Amino acid sequence: MKGRLNAKIAVASAVVVALSLAATVGLVRFVLSREYRAPVRSDQVETTPRVQAQQDEAEAKAKADREKPYAEETYRRFPLVGSRVAVWVLAQLHLLFAAFVLAVPIFALIIEFIGWLNGDKRYDELAHEFTKLLSVSFSLTATFGAFLLFMLVLLYPKFMNYLMHVFSPTFAPYVGLFFLEAFFLYTYYYGWGKFSAVTHLLLGLGLNIVGTAIMLIANSWLTFMTTPAGISESGAVISTWAAVHNYTWMPINIHRVIANVAFGGSVAAAYAAFKFLGAKTDEERAHYDWMGYIGNFVAICAFLPLPFAGYWLASEIYAYSQTLGLTMMGGAFSWLFIIQAVLIGNLFLAANYYLWLGMGRVQASERFQGYIKFLLILIAVCFAVWATPRSIIATVSEARAMGGGAHPQLGYLGVMSAKNTAVNILILTTFVSFLLYRRSGRTPTVAWAKLGNALQIAISLLAGGIVLFLGIYGYFVEASVRIGLSVPQVGSVLFAMIAVTVIDVLMYRNAKSLGETHWGRIHPASQYVLIFLAVTFTWLMGLMGYVRSGLRQHWHVYGVVRDTSVDAFTPTLGYATSVVSATVLLFFLLIGFVFWLASLSDHKKEPA
Amino acid sequence: MKVPVSLKILALTVATTGFYTMVGQLVPQKEVHPPKETAFKKEMTSDELVKAGKEVAEGKGLCSTCHTIGKSGALRFPDLDGIGARAATRRPGLSALDYLAESIYDPNLFIVSGFNPGMPVINKPPIGLTDPEILAVMAYLQSLGGQVTVTLESKVWPLGSGSGAAPPPSQD
Repeated sequence: MKGRLNAKIAVASAVVVALSLAATVGLVRFVLSREYRAPVRSDQVETTPRVQAQQDEAEAKAKADREKPYAEETYRRFPLVGSRVAVWVLAQLHLLFAAFVLAVPIFALIIEFIGWLNGDKRYDELAHEFTKLLSVSFSLTATFGAFLLFMLVLLYPKFMNYLMHVFSPTFAPYVGLFFLEAFFLYTYYYGWGKFSAVTHLLLGLGLNIVGTAIMLIANSWLTFMTTPAGISESGAVISTWAAVHNYTWMPINIHRVIANVAFGGSVAAAYAAFKFLGAKTDEERAHYDWMGYIGNFVAICAFLPLPFAGYWLASEIYAYSQTLGLTMMGGAFSWLFIIQAVLIGNLFLAANYYLWLGMGRVQASERFQGYIKFLLILIAVCFAVWATPRSIIATVSEARAMGGGAHPQLGYLGVMSAKNTAVNILILTTFVSFLLYRRSGRTPTVAWAKLGNALQIAISLLAGGIVLFLGIYGYFVEASVRIGLSVPQVGSVLFAMIAVTVIDVLMYRNAKSLGETHWGRIHPASQYVLIFLAVTFTWLMGLMGYVRSGLRQHWHVYGVVRDTSVDAFTPTLGYATSVVSATVLLFFLLIGFVFWLASLSDHKKEPA
Repeated sequence: MKVPVSLKILALTVATTGFYTMVGQLVPQKEVHPPKETAFKKEMTSDELVKAGKEVAEGKGLCSTCHTIGKSGALRFPDLDGIGARAATRRPGLSALDYLAESIYDPNLFIVSGFNPGMPVINKPPIGLTDPEILAVMAYLQSLGGQVTVTLESKVWPLGSGSGAAPPPSQD
């Protein structure tokens, strides 16, 4: 013991000696560097005395300082990564946390409401558990929001000045709503079980309304940058409301609410997976399996209509400016949508795989497992069609042999007619997977079950047939007709999903149980699938956030405020995806911290 | 050795983001810079003007974002191959030059059958071509199957402002 102490003292002494030596050397060098030395080797005679020269220099500097004109900074440079990447990463982190904070209260309230209606305490507890993730996330959202604002004002002062000129009337309501959100969020979370059920539900409703209102205001700023409105040709404000209510404001609002729910559900499911994998008891595993299932169910339900909302957003961008639309889909960003296809294909594959694995926890689900291989084939084919580019990367000789950039056969799959068809069939297939999962372990008892089944199959096949027919028809008509075909394609899929669900709900009322659902009895791989889904959703949000913002190219406000900074170019997709990946990894490090903090409150409850 | 769950989750997260980053590197890599200004001399030959017009059309003018040259089939916007000759036949009473000027300065006045309106006003931001740049683009378009008659001195818009051009048609 004494020997170890001596060794420590010896090491500490050596460190102190080394530091003292370094400090002494540093001090000597500092003093010597400031010592006056005569120019002994100079052949020139110093005509001006040193003191006079120093005085003249100081006076000249003071004069220059006095006369320095005021000039407004246009840009400031962020060190190392540059201003664009700094703002990009901060904005993305802020948006990811904000999306999570906005989404969780939506489905927590719905789950709490279901629990209140059916009197099942488990739902109430589940909703409470989801909201546990909120308070730290809310603080992180606010922190990143403030950080982002400071950076924007610091790095892009002139552009921010213009945005303030247009949107200054929206700032006070924004701040007021932010305070209200803090009030509702903390009262909702800390008031769990302390208010009457109705009061608590109303607090949740207030939280959702205020949160959505905040998002609507922030969305007006960013959509204005892409599709400005309410201003004169020189950029002067004519109507703030018109600036808020610009072309893409409402499509982004709808798209973001849905995407936030999908993203929030997937992150909450990832939390459940994290807890499931670390669970010690069957009871814990059962609880977190159920929580993961609900989180994923929420995510997939929101994910299915998302392409339709995306289509609306894209059509509004085209309506505002065909050039902007074509830059997005056919110009600089066209290959980004191939990356997006890979991501969405993965989401569909993983979501279906999770549902198929989930059948393992339900007794008597074997009767549906034979269908899985057909669903898988359909998904794989649609995935391949969606990810087929219009132009193939080819050498000059290959391009000559093909007669152009497009492959003579595969090129037909690279156009919107094929892609719209593929995505609609993907959605329909995932819906069928969910339907099979819903039915496993149960059999209908109503007299019209056979008719109901036949009707469901007929509706699904009809919808699939319409989608396929219109997809092929699109190749033979003019552009003006072809563009409009997406609407009946989407409409038939939506109709099929709603009609089949209604029939299913009615048909499976008082259904006979064929076996129990054993929550917790699922292959652990399923939990990694949930985490994969969350990472993919997050990455997809990062990628689509990039295209939404990058679409403006060398404009801060499209056609109004030009970007004249060193970053006024669109980077390569390789560069953009690297930034997205770095942001996603940062987000998961931070959300891991949120999960860990949320877990601490569990430990407190454990008996001593 | 049992690998901790947190490490497995971390590895999965890194692998997933790594995979998507790799996909991002596999697609064509192109940096898009703001359009360069095309230099105009005081006096330019037709060939020089056509060359400058091609540069503007493919760069700052963004024409090639929507229009193709020499493609057929399902097109979103009219193909420009042969427009130099076709322009004179599009609108009765309008010369090739008038038609091109009208299509550029007031693009929604006449829409080619089978297509939707979508051409932006290109002498205003975000494209914001100057008059000389537009004249050069018109020279380039005339060169696609027709004879180049436009010069930097031509007055093409409003219609009727130049010598021998037709008056602007009524929108009724």
